[in-house]
Amino acid sequence: MSFLLSLSRLIDAITERVGRAARWLILLTVLISAGNALARYAFNASSNAWLEIQWYLFAAVFLLCAGYALKHNQHVRVDVLSSRLSRRAQTWIDIFGTLFFLLPMALLILVLSWPVFVDSWRSGEVSSNANGLVLWPARALVPAGFALLVLQGLAELIKRIALLREP
Amino acid sequence: MAAFIVANIAPLMFAAMVVFLLLGYPVAFSLAANGILFALVGIELGLLDASLFQALPQRVWAVMSNETLLAVPFFTLMGLILERSGMAEDLLDTIGQLFGRLHGGLAWPTPWCSSARCSPRPPAWSPPRSSRWA
Repeated sequence: MSFLLSLSRLIDAITERVGRAARWLILLTVLISAGNALARYAFNASSNAWLEIQWYLFAAVFLLCAGYALKHNQHVRVDVLSSRLSRRAQTWIDIFGTLFFLLPMALLILVLSWPVFVDSWRSGEVSSNANGLVLWPARALVPAGFALLVLQGLAELIKRIALLREP
Repeated sequence: MAAFIVANIAPLMFAAMVVFLLLGYPVAFSLAANGILFALVGIELGLLDASLFQALPQRVWAVMSNETLLAVPFFTLMGLILERSGMAEDLLDTIGQLFGRLHGGLAWPTPWCSSARCSPRPPAWSPPRSSRWA
């Protein structure tokens, strides 16, 4: 158990670092969007690459921060019923949900999105828009984000089980 | 049994969704699991083709490349600035003092603050989350 707990601490640290780094991309996205809009209307200068980098960065934010949000318990819950249950029952619900809801879904998308990224990487896929960007960095974000989500799900599972074993 | 499920798979999926949501596990994962569960049921009963799972990464991709959602970083940043600078709280206080004496005074700050910061939920009033620990 102590090995598992140190594993969960390691995963927590990774998720925390990635989340703290990725959230700065929100500021970057806003600056690029605003700068791009200004340049387009004021100087009539723009490019599809600037439009695409906006959603690349935003996708990076919500995919890479999914595990971070899970760690901080910020995913929206319907706690009408569960808020009346005991802490122990809530912990059991979290264990059940992580095992049967979160992990199967995240693993399935991780496994299915990996070949999509590999194809894109090998073929050097480029966006169909004029002056579009290469697509593989965005394709890579999907498996990366869901891998982080799987890892954080495991960490949450370990922490919940440790909580149950506490007297 | 199988014939009943085949005939009523949509209502059954809806009922399962309600149950899954009321469990109190994060909504995003409950909905995803509901979809996957009924996809498996559908494949088992011959209603769906297993290759449809290949479309799953495309669904994530569709959300990523949805340009309408590009407004979200702006709202996130604005919400953060309003929250950390204390403006949201001040606004809530001010509207509270303005309308506090009226009947239903508590109901006023919500639309005012929401329309001011374009967010459906003032942070000060968000219900406490069940198990906030990490």
